[in-house]
This record gives sequence, C-alpha cells and structure tokens, in this order.
Amino acid sequence: MDDHVCSPGCMHGVTAENEKDIKGEFHAARRSFLRDAMVVGGGAATLGALGVSLSPSAMAASASAKPGNGPTSHYYIPASAETVLWGYFSKSAKPVVEIETGDYVTIETLTHHSNDDAERMVKGDPGAESVFYWDAKRKGVNRRGAGPMDAKIGAGGGEGVHICTGPVFIKGAEPGDILEVRIVDVAPRPSANPAFKGKSFGSNAAANWGFHYGDLLSEPKKREVVTLYEIDATGERNWARAVYNYRWTPQTDPFGVVHPTIDYPGIPVNHSTIRKNENVLKNIRVPIRPHFGTIGVAPAEADMVTSIPPSYTGGNIDNWRIGKGATLYFPVAVAGAMFSVGDPHASQGDSELCGTAIECSLTGTFQFVLHKKAELPGTPLAELNYPLLETQDDWVLHGFSFANYLAELGAGAQQSIYSKSSVDLALRDAYHKMRHFLMTTQRLDEDEAISLMSVAVDFGITQVVDGNWGVHAVIKKSIFPAREG
Amino acid sequence: MLNDLRRFSSSAFPEELRQSAWDEVFQRVRLASSLAGQPADGHVALCSSALDSVFLQVSASPQVLSPHPDNARLCQGSTVLVLALLSGSGALEEGGQRVAIGTGDIVLFDPAQAWRIELDSDFRALLVKLESASFILRLVRTGSQELNRIATRNGVGAVCLNLIQSIADELAHLDRDQLPPLEATLTELLVACLSYRERSQPEDSTSVQLAHLRRVCRSIEARLGDAELQVEDVARLEGLSVRYLQKLFKTGATTFGEYLRNRRLERCRLDLANPGLAHFSISELCFRWGFGDAANFSRAFSAQFGLSPRAYRAEPPKNPHETLQRGRPPQSQRLNLAPPRPGDDPGERQRRAFQGVLDDHARYALSLALAPKRAAAVAEKDSPGGPAGEALPNHYYIPVSEKTVHWGYFSRSIAPVLTVNSGDILTIETLTQHASDDCERMIEGDPGAESVFHWSAEKKNVERRGAGPMDASILGRGAGEGFGVHICTGPVHVRGAEPGDVLEIRILDILPRPSRHPQHQGRSFGSNAAAWWGFHYDDLLTEPKKREVVTVYEIDARTHPPHAKALYNFRWTPQTDPFGVRHATIDYPGVPVDPATIERQYGVLAKAVVPVRPHFGVLAVAPKEFGPVDSIPPSYFGGNLDNWRAGKGAKVFLPVSVDGALFSVGDPHASQGDSELCGTAIECSLTGVFQLVLHKKVQMAGSFLAELSYPFLETAEEWVLQGLSFANYQAELGPNAQTQVYKESSMEAAMRDAFRKTRHYLMKAHGLTEDEAISLISVAVDFGVTQVVDGNLGVHAIIRKAIFPDYDGAPDRSPP
Repeated sequence: MDDHVCSPGCMHGVTAENEKDIKGEFHAARRSFLRDAMVVGGGAATLGALGVSLSPSAMAASASAKPGNGPTSHYYIPASAETVLWGYFSKSAKPVVEIETGDYVTIETLTHHSNDDAERMVKGDPGAESVFYWDAKRKGVNRRGAGPMDAKIGAGGGEGVHICTGPVFIKGAEPGDILEVRIVDVAPRPSANPAFKGKSFGSNAAANWGFHYGDLLSEPKKREVVTLYEIDATGERNWARAVYNYRWTPQTDPFGVVHPTIDYPGIPVNHSTIRKNENVLKNIRVPIRPHFGTIGVAPAEADMVTSIPPSYTGGNIDNWRIGKGATLYFPVAVAGAMFSVGDPHASQGDSELCGTAIECSLTGTFQFVLHKKAELPGTPLAELNYPLLETQDDWVLHGFSFANYLAELGAGAQQSIYSKSSVDLALRDAYHKMRHFLMTTQRLDEDEAISLMSVAVDFGITQVVDGNWGVHAVIKKSIFPAREG
Repeated sequence: MLNDLRRFSSSAFPEELRQSAWDEVFQRVRLASSLAGQPADGHVALCSSALDSVFLQVSASPQVLSPHPDNARLCQGSTVLVLALLSGSGALEEGGQRVAIGTGDIVLFDPAQAWRIELDSDFRALLVKLESASFILRLVRTGSQELNRIATRNGVGAVCLNLIQSIADELAHLDRDQLPPLEATLTELLVACLSYRERSQPEDSTSVQLAHLRRVCRSIEARLGDAELQVEDVARLEGLSVRYLQKLFKTGATTFGEYLRNRRLERCRLDLANPGLAHFSISELCFRWGFGDAANFSRAFSAQFGLSPRAYRAEPPKNPHETLQRGRPPQSQRLNLAPPRPGDDPGERQRRAFQGVLDDHARYALSLALAPKRAAAVAEKDSPGGPAGEALPNHYYIPVSEKTVHWGYFSRSIAPVLTVNSGDILTIETLTQHASDDCERMIEGDPGAESVFHWSAEKKNVERRGAGPMDASILGRGAGEGFGVHICTGPVHVRGAEPGDVLEIRILDILPRPSRHPQHQGRSFGSNAAAWWGFHYDDLLTEPKKREVVTVYEIDARTHPPHAKALYNFRWTPQTDPFGVRHATIDYPGVPVDPATIERQYGVLAKAVVPVRPHFGVLAVAPKEFGPVDSIPPSYFGGNLDNWRAGKGAKVFLPVSVDGALFSVGDPHASQGDSELCGTAIECSLTGVFQLVLHKKVQMAGSFLAELSYPFLETAEEWVLQGLSFANYQAELGPNAQTQVYKESSMEAAMRDAFRKTRHYLMKAHGLTEDEAISLISVAVDFGVTQVVDGNLGVHAIIRKAIFPDYDGAPDRSPP
C-alpha cells in the first residue's frame, strides 16, 4: 500500500474517462448476458448464463486506479436464483464472488415487487424469471425472509422482503475495517417484454406497514393500493409517470396460501382478480432518483438477519441519496464484509411514507475499497460505526431509532424493533452521530459542533416504515473548504 | 333575544338579519349605528357588570355612531359613554366642532347630548356605558365648549388607555362580578384625566393651541410625501382656519413652509444615512418625502446640512450619535442653543413651549410613510408632473423602534403601526432578540436597536417581553416573563382583511442590518445560542453538563455565495439585568450581556464557512384568541415557523383570523439548519421587503386557499406544507395550551400532521384522489425536520413544482 489513505472527498480511480469505459463495459456485459440468455430461452436458465463473469477491465491497464499494487478487476453479477438472498443478511451465506480491494463489480438487482405486474417486470427476463419462478411444486427462491422455513405464509415468513444480490466477499476484510463502496453508475432494467420495449417499470405499494395505514379519509379504510409507474429505460426522460393503480385483493399463491394483505414478498398478482384504474396521477411527472434502498454488509450479531430494519451495517437505509456518484462507508462486522445490495428504487421521497418507493429493478456498478483498521486512526474514518454516505456536495449521516438494534434490543430484536421505534429517537441518534462526526473528522470541540449543527446541518426524515425508523443529517462539504484539495 | 349575548359575530347571521341584530347590540351601550347601506360586518364581545354598566369590545367595518334616539328616556342623568379607539380612525362632531380621532384616543360623551362619530376605516374599539357616573358627567359638561378627549400619550391618560386595552383583551374572561372593581378604577382614572385638564387650562391659556399644534404636526408628518401639500389642506383636514394655523407656527418662531421643508429634509437625511435604503436612488428618496425636483432638493439639503446629499450618503458619519440618530430634528438643536433662563419674558416662554411641541413631535414621529413608487419616480423624472399610475402599489417603510415592535407575543389587540392596501409593498426592519449578546456589535450606534433594547435602572423602553404577566408574578424574570421572546415588527393592518381570508406574504428581498458601531461599521453580526431549550441540552458529552454557549457569527454578504463565519463564543454566565434581576440562564430576552463577566474564546469554528440562508423565523398574522399569545410555539396563524425556506422569493400564505389580518414579522435569521437543533439559528437583524396580497374568501371559492387553515409556503421551485405537533395547539390543548404545548409535542405527531396537510393540499389544489396523493407522497415528497425547539415541534413536507408541469401554480384557483 502506498501512503495515500482514502478519505471523504477523495475520488481517485474514477475519472470522467474511465467512468465512460466502465459504463461501456457494463453495457457490453449486459448485451452479451442477454444474448446468452436468449440462446438458452425463456424458462429455466442455466447457471452458466446467469453466473458471475469477469469482464475484461479497462481498469487493469491503470494501476494507479487501485489503492494496492495489483491490477483492478471488473466483475459482473447478474441477478438469478443463484446470486440472491431474499429478505435477509447472513454472515454465513456463500459469497457469489470474492474480490480484491479496488475491484469493480456490476451488480444486477431486482425489486421484490416485480410480481405486482409480472407481464411488465418479469416476463421474458431470464434473471427475473429465475428468481420469481413459482409453481405448485417449486419456488425459484424458496426462503424469503429470516423467519422459519415452515412458516404458514411461506418459507422464511416474509421476515425480510428485499431481494439482495450477493454477498460479495472482499478479501482481507475483517471486523474493525471500513468498506468504502463507490456507486459508479446506476441504470434501470428494461422490460424484457417486447410489448414494452425501451421502458422500465416500477411498483409502489401503499401497504399495511405504511405511515398512512389506519389514517385514511375514504373507504375502505384498510385498503392497500399498488400504483404502477413507467420509467424511460433509455435514460432520456428523467421522470416517471403513473400507468395505473389497483386495490390489493386477496391473492392465492401457487402453493395455495391466501394472502389477504401484502404479507409475503413475490406473490404473483393475478390480474384477473384486480381492477385497474387507468389515468391516475395524470400529467404528473415524478423526477427519478435511482438508488438502492438496501445496501450493506452482514451484521455479526446473528446468523440470519431480516432485511427490513436498517442498522449499523447499513441494510435497508432507504435514502434516495444512495445513487450514482455516491460513496458509502460501512463498518465491517464479519470476515470478508459480505456486501449485498437490493431493493432498487427509481424514486422515493424522504419518509417513504406509504411503505414503498417506486420499486424498480436497477443495475449498479460499484467499486470497493477496503480501509484496514490499522490505517484508520487519525483519518476521518476512525471510529466510524454506522453507515456514512458521501455525495458530491454533502456528507449524510444516518440516525436510527436504535443505532444497533440487534445489540440494543437483544434476543427478540428482530421482532420487537417494530413496536419500539420513534422519530424522536432517530433524531436523537442522528444528533449523536453528527456531533461525533464533527468532533472527530473536523476536530471541533463539542460547543463548536453543536452551534454548527443548529445553523448549517439539515435533519430529514429518511423513512418511517422500516421498523428501525431513520432520520438523516446532511452537512455540506463546502462548509469546510480547507479540507478540499 | 340578545340578552345573554357575550359574543356576536355578524357573519353568523344571514345578511338580511344583520342590521337589526347589530342595532340591538349597540343599543346596549345607548348607541345607534348607521352603515351607509352596507350590511354590518363585525365582531363584538360584550359583558355587563353587576352595576349595570356595559363593556363592549367591537371590531367592525366603517360606520357612524350617534346617541340612541331613546336616550332621553333611557338615561337617568348618571350615564357616561366612553369610546376608546384601539385601532382605526375617524372624526368626531360635537357642538359645531369637528376633529379627527385616531388609534389610542379616548373620548367621553354625554349620551343625552347630540354628537356623532364617523369611523371611516375598519376599527376596533372598547365602548363602555358607565352607570352611576354622575361626577364624571359633571366634568364632561363643564367642558362642554370643548371635546372631551383624553390625551393618552403619557401620564394618567396612558395608564387609562392601558387599562382599557387590558379590559378589552380579557373581556372574554371577565364576568359580571369581576367588572365592578375595574369599573371603579376606570372611573377614577377618567376623573383624574379630566380634572388634570381642567386644572391645567386656567393656568396656561395656550394649552389648547399647543394641543392644536400637536395635531397639526401629526397631520403634516403623515403627509410629508404629498408634494402638493399646502397649508390650506392641513387647515381643512384639522378643521382650523389657515390664519390660526399660521399663527401657531409663528408663535413657535417658524412658518408652516419652513417646518414642512425642514421635516422633509430631515427625513431625507435619515433615509440617506440608512443602509437599508441603499438600493434606492437619491432622487427616489427625495421624491418619497415630497420634493418634486431633485436639483431643488440637493440645493436645500446642502444649505441645511453643509454637504450635498451624495456626499452625505457616501461619507460614513464620524459620530453616529450626532448625525445618525433617527427622529432627532434640527429644531432640537435650536432648542439647545437657547437654554431656558430664569427671568425669561412670557413671550419667550411661550415660544419655547411651542417649539417644544414641534420638537417633541418630530422626536416621536415614525418614519411610517410612503417610500418612493419606483416606476412613478422614474416617470416623474421623464415627464415632470406626470401622474403616477393609480394601480401602482404604495411602498411603505417601517423602521424598527420601541414604537413599532411587540416583543415576545402576538395579540389581536396590538394597535397596528400602519394600515396598507392589498398589493402594497413594505420595507420592514426587524431586530434579533439576541442582539444584546454583543451590544457593541449589534446595538450600539443603531438608533432603532437602541430604542428597542434600551434598558437602564430607571427605564426599559419595551417593557413587555412575552405573554406572561407584567408583574412577573410567576417566575420573576421580568415583565411578560419571557414567555415568548421574539421582537416582532408590526402589526400591519391590511385594509379589508377579514377572518376567512388568506394573506399572502411575498418576500421580495432580504438585507442584513449593518452594525452602526464605528469599529464595526458596515459589517453584520448574528448570535447563535446553544440554549437550555435546545435538543442537545441534557445530552452533552463534556463538562460542565448544563452549559449554555453563545457563538457570535459575522455575516459576509459580499462573497458569492454569501457566508457566515464564527467570530468567538462564550459560555453564558449569570447576568444581572439593569433592574437587578439575575438571569442564571437565558431565560429572558434582551438581557444585556456584560462583556466583563464572560470569557470570549476567539478562533472557534475557524475552518467552517457557513452558507447563509437569510430568512424570517417569525411570520404571523394575529391569532383569533384574545389576550397575548406566546411567540414561541408556531400554530395555525403562522408565527415562529423557523423554516429557512421563508427567504427571498418565498411566499407565505396565512389564514386571516382577525380583521386587518395584523401581520407581524421578526426573529430574523442569517442561517439555520433543518431542526434548529441547539435552540437558535444565526440570529441576525435583517430588513425585508414584503408585498402583502389579500385573497378574499369569495374570490377563492372552491380552491385550496379557501380551505387554508394553516401556514402554507411556496418557493420558486417548491410547495412546502408545514406540519406541527399540534396544528392549532390553542384549540387542541384548551385553557392551559400555552403550558401544555411544551410538554405534549412529539415528532411523530408533527409528521402525522405534515402527512395530513400534504394529502389535503394534493387532493384540494391538484384534484388528486386519496390513493393518488398517498402514492405520490411516498415516491416524491420529502419530509424534513423543521425545528425541535419551539414547543410545538415542526416537520415540513416539500413538493417539487416540477412534478406538475401543466399546473399554473396559483393556489387560489380551483383544481383542474
């Protein structure tokens, strides 16, 4: 390793040029992947076609792009039944790829709401079909959630819902290290159905776990409503529009279990049982903010951890700022870090009020940089024990009702968290974290930190629907001009 | 039918029944009301005492009041009527005399005599029918050659007015058995006022003339901007002869013309010295004060002050105390040149008395006058004498001073400092209540700030600070108890505004208020107090755990983008105020911090450059509740929203609760983060330019604004819905609301309220169904923490306008 230590603001390795190269590669990989998949044909794709590939990397030529001395590799992880964990993080899961620090990985992610309109979001897409496959006998991915495999509503109990691609094992990562994840690119996943060529789709479910549920004006008071949105897959239009909505009706899954509410992920919605309202949200353009709702490393506290409540290792942070150009720093809790990503969103508002965003499959390109524990003292990353986000202009700190709910709430944490959260607690945590950040990374004393927080830090409500509620604190990097350069 | 009436609102009656209902109310105080064909429009609170006296508080549209035709039968020779005009204006006719009356006047009438009161504006008054008051009646009759008006500016008259105002404020909470002692006190005070007048009259035969001169000066002051003003106009307005008026000035050793010119020059001089008006040209300023020709003005100015206007403006005055004090006219210097000597002849004494009036008036007059109409001024330059377009809004300037602020509370009973029309533009100076954290930088040499903050062992210019009791009987902190802390400039009465309407406040511009201290001339400063009410206070890492820390920032508006930098901080130490009360914490606003008791630590936040977001923390209309309301918790009427988006270019919509809306603004901030975590922002005095636009209820029918019952904010790019823990904490928490709100608030409740308001907005303004609104909220609306330190916690929701590309952006229209 050379003397350079990566720090917030440091964007080494990514220049406008190599970013373009990476995108080019990504598109090439995607094309070849689709071509291979076509050859194999619709239904059951082979592992060969859906396996991890190592793309020839433009990075390999430029040694300086990598913090270490070795060449940089670029991997491609398509989404398939073999490359995802559905609804949980696990330190003992088998990694889909092992990489070196500095490597790039392009990762496909699928939204777990794809089956709200399988016609648009699953059909003809081998990756999605592989994951969502479900007939009377077999599910492409049986376990959905960290719950018991024999749960009545389905294996895993739906205790955790997000389809997470990974885990990615980072060689040399150990507890106490920091994993930096740079989001180099994010692109929507085009519909594979020829009828919807050039379009991507996303689903927004106003669900039973939403903030609005139980506080509705019109009848029926306890309804769930799914709104389908269309996104331009070519990237020319930067906004989404609603296509239709429908009220959730009891759905019987292929195993014969009836789901009166949205209580289990990936239930294929039978469109003959629902009534679609066209022309909803007419003339309304929702500006897109493609991002990953769930992104993180595996926690150490338990082997199977539900994907819903975010925690110190990240997870379901649901902050729309985690998009292209953003960098995340996670405290590594287990060997290899075990990074995974999912819950892709085309757009979300701060609070994610009704329970979901525009849940829309995305593909991201990430670069991973490992910061070893021994190198941290004296750097801004020392003592980092929560997911820290850096965007082009801001640092964003994530406060949760419980900073580490698994540790704080003990054995029943994964259940009890849902009844213990509050915005007040999350704000308290965000305050603690921002104070710590300013005192350590900017070397302010406590009084300076508190004054600055009141006059220049914006606190926003990240989400009020993920069990462990979130409040984030945003501070502009320009406040400390001396640090730049 | 109305015997048990305590509250009456004409809007509760069908239109055809209003007049008779209104008549019935006024008969209770032996008055007849006639309304020039218009249906009565007003609100009355009424209470009769055990002694049969009647107190009636009224706020209503223009009308004429006269003795009830049946008074000869109804009154037994022991009834006196008292009219205290709390706001509004009009004229009084009695015994062939006609005089103007205005806000703060108290007039007594014999109900059996003939007289009439013409109220020509919306007004608010307390009318009292005092029974068993034959001794007052005697005094009233004695002075039958003169109007029975009581001077209320100071002395007993002022006390009397305060009492009446307090009775009006509390009327809703007074019952028939509590009124007699108040009645007795009022009677005694009125007797004292009248007998004082009687005593002074024979001793000094010129007192009537002096009173006339005072009135004339006031009249002139209000019309300085009228370039056509002639002595005849003033004489006519005041019901005096031209010759008599000229004699008044002659006795004061001046002439009408000279006085008028001097007053205009003085106003121009003050404007030229005011950095807040730096964006106006010299021509515009001289047109503002009635000079029709810039060259003439320049000559007159140079002759008077020995310096051209341009030179005067360019060269910072060396001693601001001498040259920049607001409202100190040249006449006073003249007075100083001729100190009174014993043995002066009576003529000299009389002249001094008259000059005293001229001087006195100028000293107290406010600069509440028309600022230049920009377009008109330009047009006049191009074509001299060209008429100014009628449609052009007026531009007013409200300087901040003890006379134009209310400190720490809102109330519907505060007399307006100004009445404007919808569409008028106002430049309003505001002061931060934290200026006394560093008096040298933020107060000294600044006449407006000095006027508001003045506090010596003998005198505190603004006594009431907060909605608490004036005798500080609860916690002993000081008058008003600091239950509410913000210095609010206003209120401004918007002509024609009524409950049910919506007032739109457009923030056109915001400028920092420069220091007037010679060492800090031209620089601006703000204070950030990490105070005991902050979110952090019980959650500190380092010792001492219960500390308060004040950080003083300097604001540099010249850089791009403008920014603030910390200058120093200090730990709050117990401060003893000039009245001797010790403030161990920041528990009362405006306590001057003694630099000798604190330790300033320089070099703090040395690396941090804070981008500024100038805005007003407090933007309010008067609440509908009676009595003073704490300025800290925001509510349905706006108030201390502390949302930094209320900056330049923003529009704030507030539901009108009282006649005239009564708009006030204060709590200026140079910058604040969402949450205002430590209790305050960078509290920094600012001057704002506002346009007030009234949306009448009828015009908005069917639109979102017609249903607006909470503050709504619009910026260039966004709509912002302000959720509060309690949308209307007064209504929701009952009689102890002002205490309870500090205990009962939560972020969840604020988030819930923000969600409901956003849903309401999307459904009403954009015609969405509930399901559409909820989906859109989740995918495109951002919820942020506005503040966690103002009792009633705030969460706001931001809707980007780009979401609705086809929407024309007018919230007063019906949805598509």
